[in-house]
Amino acid sequence: MAKRSIIPFGPQHPVLPEPVHLDLVLEDETVVGVIPSIGFVHRGLEKLVDKRDFKQYTYIAERICGICSCGHGLGYCLAMEQIMNIEVPDRAKYLRTIWVEMSRVHSHLLWLGLLGDAMGFESLHMESWRLREKILDMFDETTGGRIIHSVNQVGGVQKDMDSTMLNDILRAIDEIESELRPIAKTFLHDYTVQSRLKGVGILSKDDAIAQGAVGPMLRASGVEYDARLLGYGAYKDLTVEPVISKDGDSYGRCEVRIKELFQSFDLIREAIGKIPQGDISVPVKGNPDGEYFVRIEQPRGEAIYYVKGSGKKFVDRFRLRTPTTSNIPPMVEMLKGCQLADVPILILTIDPCVSCTER
Amino acid sequence: MEKTKMFTLARRIVGNLFKKPATIQYPFEPVEFPERMRGHISIRIEDCITCGLCARACPSLAIQVDRKAGTWTISRFDCVQCGSCVLACPKKCLTMEKGYTEPDIMKKSDTVVKPQEEKKEAARDGAAAAGGKPVMDAEKCVYCTLCAKKCLQEAIRVDRKEKIWELDEEKCAECGICAGACPKKAIEMKG
Repeated sequence: MAKRSIIPFGPQHPVLPEPVHLDLVLEDETVVGVIPSIGFVHRGLEKLVDKRDFKQYTYIAERICGICSCGHGLGYCLAMEQIMNIEVPDRAKYLRTIWVEMSRVHSHLLWLGLLGDAMGFESLHMESWRLREKILDMFDETTGGRIIHSVNQVGGVQKDMDSTMLNDILRAIDEIESELRPIAKTFLHDYTVQSRLKGVGILSKDDAIAQGAVGPMLRASGVEYDARLLGYGAYKDLTVEPVISKDGDSYGRCEVRIKELFQSFDLIREAIGKIPQGDISVPVKGNPDGEYFVRIEQPRGEAIYYVKGSGKKFVDRFRLRTPTTSNIPPMVEMLKGCQLADVPILILTIDPCVSCTER
Repeated sequence: MEKTKMFTLARRIVGNLFKKPATIQYPFEPVEFPERMRGHISIRIEDCITCGLCARACPSLAIQVDRKAGTWTISRFDCVQCGSCVLACPKKCLTMEKGYTEPDIMKKSDTVVKPQEEKKEAARDGAAAAGGKPVMDAEKCVYCTLCAKKCLQEAIRVDRKEKIWELDEEKCAECGICAGACPKKAIEMKG
């Protein structure tokens, strides 16, 4: 047996901007064990429910993470609306869905860029991020913010989109789609990319289920599961079909995300085509009394929002289970047996968001 | 081993030669902000009634309102541009403007002082502009105390047993929250 050694990885690492720390147990160059530790960016945001009322907390929920901001606001508001028996107007549901799908596009494009960067394929990195700029510009035009949108509120949305804005979004996603096709072709068929991704970090279907993987990580292992099928927001009226890949390797995870991008374009087009006229919010009266938990599909996977109120304007408890929290155990499983040089890319393929995880 | 492909990048290279750069050539080219951009908060101080609702709504505690001194202060570095105060303002004197504030090397606060003379004048004869003081209709009032509970300035005193409804005019900010809270619509904002 080769001599074992432990190499610390992170929380500051040139490849990975996320502050996760791993102790990699190596036998020569092969990883045989991984001990993860988190807690470097804990901000105590869940505890802030004691000091900010339930309406203000929407803004704090949105600031848990930059990339999943829109989804966090939506998840919190959905839970709160269920507790307070608020029926959100249909137009607000569609607007929320459009914004959430746009944030999926921007998250996946960001991830594709990071993957290109991690592989040393700089031009793919820049091409992906160049496309992402167009989505961020659309966010800027429609919500007033590129990253933090502040559009969700308990009872609906704060801002409406007129037909000019909806047409601008359609035009932007048409442009992104046509420009994404050659980039997607490179990601999926280029020899260099395939040599880094194919057959690396295989997570079998059984392991993915047993370890509790979520989102693209789970679907890449061949499990047809997508929280959007639950029908929250306007998804019940839209055609959502889980995108899956059979292999469960890094290539599969990349393939799922690329196909989800095209699926998101279709969903945005469908939502804009079906969007009804009407109000965008309803007035909220009283304070939340009761508890509820909501599951929504964030770009990185399924997130769970639990809220408990007791009739006061400050809620008793807010709990968020983020997709990265669920994806760390399967990541540890997946890293066993891989080469040290593949570790950064493998960690990246779960699309980690540690600031979400630690809140 | 796959067949080696030649000139795969040729089309892109030639295309890029005739394309505009993807980035804006700032500062030579001006940056246009979209209409809805959440850049910074500004206030029309002459309409402000220093009710303090914005300070209460602010999740990052960036706003301080001093009613006695008639000042409205915002810490630009603490403000997260969420727009919560703009929604909360009963007089709609707060607005979210496009464009960012100047960068600085130190945390700084901007203080806006409400002109005292104008304030008094507005309170006296500007009932329409400032909304006026609440006037209670004793026939409709059920002395439920909701108005007193909602009043941010604690300017209303209600005694249910004695059927007393009192307003401290000095404290009253004329925000109109009591009129909105009244279930019997017994309160009217009058000059």
